[in-house]
Amino acid sequence: MRRIAAVVSVVALFGTAKAAPYAGSYIGHGFGDVKAQAAPSSSYVGHGFSRAAAEDLPRRIISLVPATTEMLFAMGAGDRIAGVSNYDRFPPETARLPKVGGLIDPDVERVLSLKPDLVVVYDTQTDLKRQLERAKVPMFPYVHRGLPDITETMRALGARVGAKPAADAAAARIERELAAISRRVAGQPRPKTLLVFGREQGALRQVTASGGYGFLHDVLEVAGGADVLADLRKQSVEMSAEMILTRAPEVIIELHYGDPVKPENFDAERRVWDALPSVPAVRHSRVYLLDGSEFVVPGPRIVLAAERFARTLHPEAWER
Amino acid sequence: MLEVTDISFAYPSRRAVAPRVLEGVSLQVHRGSVVGLLGPNGSGKTTLLKVVAGVLKPQSGRVLIEGQAIEQLTRRDLARRLAVVAQETQTTFDFTVIDMVLMGRYPHLGAFQLEGASDQAIARDALAATGTAALEARPFATLSGGEKQRVVIASALAQASDMLLLDEPTAALDLGYQFEITALLRRLNLERRTTMIVSTHDLNLAAALCERVVLLKHGRVIAHGATEETLTAANVRLLYDIDADVQYHPRAGHLTVVPIGRSR
Amino acid sequence: MAVHADTLAAGGRRASVRQRILWTVAGFGTLAAAAILFAPLVGSTRIQLGTAFDRSIPYADNIDAQIFFVARLPRVLAAALVGSALAVSGVVFQALLRNPLASPDTLGVSAGASLGAMMAITFNLDFSLLGVSAVPLASFAGSLGALAIVYGLSTARRRGTSALVLLLGGVTVQALLSAVIAFVQYLADFTQTFRNVRWLMGSLDVASYSPILAALVPMAVAWAGFATLPRMLDLISIGSESAAARGVNIERTERIALVSASLATGAAVSLAGPVSFVGIIVPHLVRLIVGADHRLVLPASALFGAAFLIGCDLIARTVIAPLVLPVGIVTAILGGPVFLWLLFRRL
Repeated sequence: MRRIAAVVSVVALFGTAKAAPYAGSYIGHGFGDVKAQAAPSSSYVGHGFSRAAAEDLPRRIISLVPATTEMLFAMGAGDRIAGVSNYDRFPPETARLPKVGGLIDPDVERVLSLKPDLVVVYDTQTDLKRQLERAKVPMFPYVHRGLPDITETMRALGARVGAKPAADAAAARIERELAAISRRVAGQPRPKTLLVFGREQGALRQVTASGGYGFLHDVLEVAGGADVLADLRKQSVEMSAEMILTRAPEVIIELHYGDPVKPENFDAERRVWDALPSVPAVRHSRVYLLDGSEFVVPGPRIVLAAERFARTLHPEAWER
Repeated sequence: MLEVTDISFAYPSRRAVAPRVLEGVSLQVHRGSVVGLLGPNGSGKTTLLKVVAGVLKPQSGRVLIEGQAIEQLTRRDLARRLAVVAQETQTTFDFTVIDMVLMGRYPHLGAFQLEGASDQAIARDALAATGTAALEARPFATLSGGEKQRVVIASALAQASDMLLLDEPTAALDLGYQFEITALLRRLNLERRTTMIVSTHDLNLAAALCERVVLLKHGRVIAHGATEETLTAANVRLLYDIDADVQYHPRAGHLTVVPIGRSR
Repeated sequence: MAVHADTLAAGGRRASVRQRILWTVAGFGTLAAAAILFAPLVGSTRIQLGTAFDRSIPYADNIDAQIFFVARLPRVLAAALVGSALAVSGVVFQALLRNPLASPDTLGVSAGASLGAMMAITFNLDFSLLGVSAVPLASFAGSLGALAIVYGLSTARRRGTSALVLLLGGVTVQALLSAVIAFVQYLADFTQTFRNVRWLMGSLDVASYSPILAALVPMAVAWAGFATLPRMLDLISIGSESAAARGVNIERTERIALVSASLATGAAVSLAGPVSFVGIIVPHLVRLIVGADHRLVLPASALFGAAFLIGCDLIARTVIAPLVLPVGIVTAILGGPVFLWLLFRRL
């Protein structure tokens, strides 16, 4: 849950302005449209390449973004990674790689000491970018808005590191799998879903939920759910008990990642919602706690997240 | 009425032997008299008043009020018999004049008892005695220096009209208000037979007001007696290292002390 | 110059203390009661009171009832408790420190409570006691810790004005704890920082009665202390030596005042987070109406504080409906200008 809101906060804090034209453009369409959507945003691919050296294939890549680390591994460039962020956990090979900080606190000295020939940075890390420019280190700025950006970034990154075929293939596979999930649940009624990113442990306070915008919201839609706060168009919303009662979600999905609520305690945490018995999700016992890092990283494993959502929302579609 | 015997006092301190603020102080105050405590700053006058008022406990000696040791009285009992007119009154909040005077009734009331009609009457009587009845509803903070001091005296009268301990009552007042307060105190003593102990470094005030004086230096009594006999140039030199001219002033009707120069 | 509603025209006599207390309690009590009764009826969603109380509808199906009893009523009760606790603590701290601009935050008790909550959030503490979860428990523990330090300071002194020592010591504790809070926040990751920051803005969305009941325990102890204080605060505020000479036990009074006000503040902040300005605004507004006598100011502040915070919470949950503003933002937006005005009045 920590990581969910972490990524969510990142985009909320730094990416929302850029994302505005994107808002809503994806919602409601099938996933097959994603390539068409790729065109307008591909403009960013043209910026931000500061290539100082003539060399085309980077061999010492540092990735400050966990999502791009996973993408690099997925396109077979994992052996060329020289450093990752403190928050990288997947795949297991990252455990052996040097850690260089994260979004707020990148360790510039460490980055430079590893002599990278490409550094994947967050577009908003202006200080870091300035320092890398001064050191003439090439950069790949990572921008993230919604679900379609995942495959788009994969393709762009693949082109950048010289693994274009593998990257394109991986991206295409992701798109296919997401489309398959979407088809599987097509025709089913979409339950009103409350996607909870975090709340105070043991109490129904500081409930933070998806407000109808962002990649998790997009994944929810792919998986056949209807975000109950879709009209608010915000990355995350702090909900009051009254709001929850009024919106009356049919399904509540709580995301957990790496916080102290162990799976053994899920039952107890689920019972916290019993304070609101009129909520359909509570009445019909459709409160689910999902745990896993695939929810926090907008990378190749997003397919896992989508499938888990879909299985939760439409279990009958998986019976066949 | 008040008998102070051999009081010694030192403030609690980390040192093995704390410096004594009062050393073997004794004095007697008869009912209806006005006694002045004179001495330079730091001579222990304020401390002595606090000991007499029961606020500080002396290490040795005793204080008897009408023959009773003050340790045997509760704080409230003692507060009903003597009232302190403090040097400063803080005006953190906007109390009215009547509020201030009614606070003097605190020792007469039970823990949660509220002031009743008799308390109000006593308070108003005290205001009248100090000539401040018209100021009853005014906020205390808006009064002039002299008016404030009169109200403070009124609140002390409402508390205990028998005996007042006054700590530098005119120190912060200009000449006009000084005169006003001195006249008020004299009148209270004459009309109500209020006993007073006045601690002051203003020798002329003591001369005008007090029939007896007690001279304190470094916590010890160096002289005491009737004002005319005790307030002499020699004693002034002893107290302040100042050569002064002490004369009876026929128009004023009391002694006056005029400092001339430093004594060698 | 204060305006005293009870002082009659020139020559008139003021009503007796007993009468003024009765009128004050009746007047402000009516205001508080009206707030408690009216506020749960109002919100971003329209509900029917008849439906909410209709016994024939099973509770599990009755949305109106749940909105009333789970979403709104606990909020209103929490607002009443927190508002009155902070207002009375403000009154007591102002008298204790002889400073009309003192507040429940001045001595660091609020900072201690905030630190406890930050640590529970940042280090993901997981424990609960009698239905109360980690964050409010840790928060209250933090406030007790701050109180222990300030109390130790106040009793260690041997001479000198207690008000000044207390103020200096308390402000130092507050500054120190704020620095530690900043450090803990630095260690936190995004989610935790997000939750920390939100917690610091104050929120009354309790959605359950057990934290309220838990907060009642220290508040009841505080109230027992408050009940003994009013007249003694009057006397001390005009000078501790004259108060001592009138029979007030200065040290005992100051200790009771410090402990009671700190317990009440700690419980309030644990329940709702640090809600600013209530402890300054309410006492001053009350004094403008009833005068300076603490026997009036204390009960009036308790009642008006409750009504005030209920009102602020009402604004917080309706002004940007369906979203809810943290109540601390509303009190700051209302309180800030009022505080400035009070400041200008004094100059």
